[in-house]
Amino acid sequence: MVNVQNVTFSYTKRAELLSNLSLTLETGRIHGLLGKNGEGKSTLLKLISGLDFPKSGSIETLGFNPTKRNPDMLQEIFFLPEELPQLALSIANYEKVYAPFYPNFSTEQFNAYLKEFDITDKTSKLNKLSHGQKKKVFIAFGLATNTKLLLMDEPTNGLDIPSKGQFRRMVASAIDENRCLIISTHQVHDLDSLIDSIIVMEKHKIVFNQPIENITKKLLFRVADRNEKDESVIYSEDTLRGLYQVCENTTGEESKLDIELLFNAILTKKNKIVKLF
Amino acid sequence: MNTTLNINRLGLLFKRYFLENKQRELTFWGITIVVFTLMHLAGAQEKSFSVEMYLIISGFIFAARTFKAFNFTPSGMHYLLIPATHFEKLVTAIILSTFYFFAMILVTYTIGTVLGTSLGNLFFDTHNPIQFALFQSAPDFIVNGHSIHKAGNALLNTFIGFAGVQSVFMLGSIYFKGNAIGKTMLAIIAVSIVLGIIEVFLLKATFGTYHLNGQMLNLSITPEHNMFAGAETVGTIIKYALIPFFWVVTYFRLTEKEV
Repeated sequence: MVNVQNVTFSYTKRAELLSNLSLTLETGRIHGLLGKNGEGKSTLLKLISGLDFPKSGSIETLGFNPTKRNPDMLQEIFFLPEELPQLALSIANYEKVYAPFYPNFSTEQFNAYLKEFDITDKTSKLNKLSHGQKKKVFIAFGLATNTKLLLMDEPTNGLDIPSKGQFRRMVASAIDENRCLIISTHQVHDLDSLIDSIIVMEKHKIVFNQPIENITKKLLFRVADRNEKDESVIYSEDTLRGLYQVCENTTGEESKLDIELLFNAILTKKNKIVKLF
Repeated sequence: MNTTLNINRLGLLFKRYFLENKQRELTFWGITIVVFTLMHLAGAQEKSFSVEMYLIISGFIFAARTFKAFNFTPSGMHYLLIPATHFEKLVTAIILSTFYFFAMILVTYTIGTVLGTSLGNLFFDTHNPIQFALFQSAPDFIVNGHSIHKAGNALLNTFIGFAGVQSVFMLGSIYFKGNAIGKTMLAIIAVSIVLGIIEVFLLKATFGTYHLNGQMLNLSITPEHNMFAGAETVGTIIKYALIPFFWVVTYFRLTEKEV
């Protein structure tokens, strides 16, 4: 679905934002793209969709070269940016104008998603809505386009707490084996139990790209006693609730993935973790 | 599917423009009708210069906003990701900024002229005829015994000039991020200065002086040399070629646009 090979990108000649980056993404998955600020997560999404062009290397999106911005490719991509466009259109007119560009758009789904987000008045102007409300409209529209590739940059920014739950439910129900969703975020808790593949960017490279099932097979996430000593512990965080640990899973025991803990573990003990996969 | 020019997608791009700019369009149509009505209210004097000025100035303001989406990165991203080819987006932009805008001015000019002249006759008890000076051909003028046509048809001439200005400002709107009007004007001034300097050096090379001081008047140009006809042909070719040239540059700029 998406194949990025040895891509280098920079906005200025001095600093490379992405350096020799390679990545392959499969269909039927929700990929969580994690990384600190300024690592190039949004840029990677832009490169995949053809909004930016790599300085070197190649990208293939849905079998197309994204830099050509072929309409056959664009009608199968929906990109939800962190900041939203300013459009002096009502929700109904936005649907009227843009839905016909997407051959698999479903008005029923769009209405259902809007209803779930508690947006009932489609005559509301997009530029008069709050950022959160506007984001809900674009999320609903993006999911209703039924495009093969959905790119979301910080989709939960600006959403209130109930809406984050609604977002997770909607996304989970909208994804099937033909669709691929990439969510770039640093609000990892919002993606709990949603994503099924984790990609971590560090120092402008992909340092980790694994499906959840692999992660929980190789790593054990647990809360341990502070006095307990264990050689298999790779990373631990001392919190009020106890010692949160990431250990090598030597027993095959199943545990619930803690994305934030994993992310911190990768950033501090990258070599140890990567070696396990 | 035709991936270069698809009529359905072209139609959708027009629909998108008019729905997004409905309010602005209606306001502009209204203002333009009022301006032309007021222009023709006072009398039947020649108004084509004022109308042409209004056409050019409002036109380049319109053209400089063609790619205004790129002033704000998320809007630029949204525009580039609309599933249509760059060619379709360019064709839409050209039709709107050149043909549609010109047609809109002609329609509002016609309405304004009829309204203004009729209301003027009514209020001021005059009997001015309704005259559409903009549509009338300019008279030929003679240089050294040669008849120089103002391209034959004044309206066509106006349109060509207008399309040229529009093509430059449309390129400016995609080339410059923010304040495209001012930056395009500065670019035009800069290019004009460079061309002026080249012209001065050509004068020096040709006549041995940086300024002619009227020497040109002493040149003998006989009908056999047909110098003006040749110059006119070259000028016409450049005039017509510049418009598609700027369109092509705009197209490449659009295909290479990153946000």
